[in-house]
Amino acid sequence: MAKDIKEIREKGAEYFFLLCSLVSIGAVLLICYFIFAGAYPALRDIGAWAFLTGDLWKPTDHPPSFGIFNMIAGSIYVTAGACIFGVPVGVFAAVYMAKYCPRKIYPVASQLVSLLAGIPSIIYGFFGMMMIVPFIQENFSGNGNSVLAASIVLGVMILPTVIKVSEVSIRAVPKSYFEGALALGATKEQSIFFVGIPAAKSGILAGVILGIGRAIGETMAVVMVAGNSNILPESIFKSVRTLTANIVLEMGYAAGPHYDAIVATGAVLFVFILMLNIVLNIINKGAQTSGGLS
Amino acid sequence: MIGQIKMFSMKNVASVTLRSLVYVAMGLTAISLLGILSYILFNGVKAFKWSLIFGKFSSANPSMSFSIVTTCVMILLTLLIAVPISIFCAVYLTEYAKRKNIFVNWIRLATETLAGIPSIVFGLFGAIFFGTVMGFGYSILTGCLTVAIMLLPVIIRQTEEAVKSVPDMYREGSYGLGASKLRTVFRIVLPSAMPGILSAVILSMGRIIGETAALIFTLGTVAQLPGGLLDSSRTLAVHMYISTRDGGAAGREVAFLTGAVLIVVILCMNIGASYIGGKVGKDFEN
Amino acid sequence: MKKVLLAVLGAGLILGAFTGCGKKGDDVNGEGGKQREITVISREESSGTRGAFDELMKITDGKTNMLFREAVIVSSTDEAASKVEVDKFAIGYTSLGSVTSKVKALTIDGVVPNEENVKNGSYKIARPFVLAVKIGSGNQLAKDFLKFVSSQSGQAVVSKAGYITVDAAADYTPAKLSGKLTLSGSTSVEKVIQKLKEEYEGLNPGAKLEINYNGSSAGIKDCLADKSDVAMSSRELKAEEKDQITGTTFALDGIAVIVNQSNEVSNMTEDLVTKIFKGEARFWNDVQ
Repeated sequence: MAKDIKEIREKGAEYFFLLCSLVSIGAVLLICYFIFAGAYPALRDIGAWAFLTGDLWKPTDHPPSFGIFNMIAGSIYVTAGACIFGVPVGVFAAVYMAKYCPRKIYPVASQLVSLLAGIPSIIYGFFGMMMIVPFIQENFSGNGNSVLAASIVLGVMILPTVIKVSEVSIRAVPKSYFEGALALGATKEQSIFFVGIPAAKSGILAGVILGIGRAIGETMAVVMVAGNSNILPESIFKSVRTLTANIVLEMGYAAGPHYDAIVATGAVLFVFILMLNIVLNIINKGAQTSGGLS
Repeated sequence: MIGQIKMFSMKNVASVTLRSLVYVAMGLTAISLLGILSYILFNGVKAFKWSLIFGKFSSANPSMSFSIVTTCVMILLTLLIAVPISIFCAVYLTEYAKRKNIFVNWIRLATETLAGIPSIVFGLFGAIFFGTVMGFGYSILTGCLTVAIMLLPVIIRQTEEAVKSVPDMYREGSYGLGASKLRTVFRIVLPSAMPGILSAVILSMGRIIGETAALIFTLGTVAQLPGGLLDSSRTLAVHMYISTRDGGAAGREVAFLTGAVLIVVILCMNIGASYIGGKVGKDFEN
Repeated sequence: MKKVLLAVLGAGLILGAFTGCGKKGDDVNGEGGKQREITVISREESSGTRGAFDELMKITDGKTNMLFREAVIVSSTDEAASKVEVDKFAIGYTSLGSVTSKVKALTIDGVVPNEENVKNGSYKIARPFVLAVKIGSGNQLAKDFLKFVSSQSGQAVVSKAGYITVDAAADYTPAKLSGKLTLSGSTSVEKVIQKLKEEYEGLNPGAKLEINYNGSSAGIKDCLADKSDVAMSSRELKAEEKDQITGTTFALDGIAVIVNQSNEVSNMTEDLVTKIFKGEARFWNDVQ
């Protein structure tokens, strides 16, 4: 009898744990449902194609226009810009962390990288608005609120993600790879950059994709430095509006079809993130089967 | 001499260039961080006034006192929701689930998806679901539930790591002494993984403190000491955002000071997390 | 060695961060500056301030908004002021009550934007601040608060906050009501409504006001959906809105056209402002 109670308790606990695990699945389903259901009226009334490819966003006109093509392009531009700044610096810094950093400095350096990840994005935005935007205006062309400003800010913001993930994957490369290269007469740099990095490339790629995800979804920092004009910027000194900026700027003010269009903007962003996740999964799977990272 | 000149062959030039690039990259990283930190801290210290931190909020003194309270309440409630769920999920994944269990793949896919969703999308979802559908409006409750979902993947992942790193012999020892699985989990596995879990919790506190985009449309922006779960208020980060947006010149100063406070708090938390997290590593080495 | 290098680099950047902005680029008034493009700064389309400004300056014809497409969009009038403060080539607009000494408010057709000129109607870019309740609402606290804001003591607060008063009604005697009153709407009214709230709560210790700033249109929407008791609007109520809510104008606010302190332009015609915001005049040398 006592044994039965014990068994029930054990089983009950297992199911309870399972239930807790299902919360995340439930959350994802709920998010998908509410974002897409909220977006549906807008896509139905405006037409998905017109919504995605329209270049006019005039919510208060009669009749209003809702087209987010420029914002999709804007999100892609600033994300690409962020990668141009963030990825090389991030990967090289990861090499430093994994291979060059002296033991004594390592705790400081790694603390530094975590802190970079921990700073609230609003602080990045504020810094960008007060320092980077005026700097670009004074030294280059345009008014500073630009693709370039957003790219720099985002470039810094994705650094910790890129560094952490790349560092882990460089460390995961077996020591024998480097030693073999050194034994064949390669310099330390050659062993790292021509043997180590190619071996760690799927891990680094995963870091880059995570960074892209962070950049494309970043809101508060971008809205303060990008200028937010609804145009297709023809140079990096022109202002740009991203999908996230469109949501945060207008969400509070929106009503009726305008509100639906904002939720639909969120849905488009969500689809982008889902696609990135799929790519990430494929890369991770590839890494696992080729015996690289776990 | 000739040998030395030969050293500067193409091979070495490339190596030296690469090596300097490595240092430059790390330097740039350090510089960006120090630049931002010193800018905010410098201006924050310049704007420093006790009344701005602890004074009562009014239009004349846009103090952050109420938002300190709100931030603490938010942290407490959010963790109360997110931590148990995440820990149990991690326990299920590591201790109970069989490798071929169909749920496991789905759970992993879900947590990975959650981890990638931008906070503004969480904000949208929270405003629609908790705010409108469930009828909580702009409130602490809406904010907490939204942020709790955001934190799930963070805590689950780190707890899983911590639980996995508990050596199997601990479990075997426990079973050998006749303990049940449940007892082993709660008395042996979780206590051994505690430092790792704690450091995950501290890091997620940092996430809560720094969050803005998901909170503006869920927690709202009312400048008041929250009287209940259904009241709206501002966390420090939201207070900083609203101050730069609507506060005028005085708001700018508050924003700097709030930013400085945020940075100091997050710095402390990071150091705390790595101290606790580092200790667990050492424990296991011995 | 590395440490030294890092320290030097770090010090260099920090120095650069503080002095970099002090470097003089081409001045707005100098030869080079005249060629520089005007940075047009506006608000997002559904903001009350933008609605009022666009309508008064004829940037919209009621159907189509013709704002310069490359205009920088900010999310509050204060942010507009911050942008103008750091950008020598910028022009923006902000609530008269939030003009600081760090930006320059232009005279329009020679009329100085100040309290007196807004009140007597010679400065034309002005809009009302309106508190609105649903028609037929029986909320006594809301009624009492509205009575307070239009009374002499309420208007004294408005004037002290730097906004323009309306003709005050009879004096207010605290009804000592208690309960919670929720307001939502325009971000532009924050400075004055916060002071009114403090004064009112001081007079009626049992009353508690909860204010959410989410924009005029959203505030009216909230009020209609019973999410809040009172809507705050920084523009006139639209005809279709007047069918369901009644508004009380409790203050007037001029909208000042602002430029950077270093800009030597100090007067513009209304027509020119319109041209700039429509993107028809793009360079400071077109402006004289």
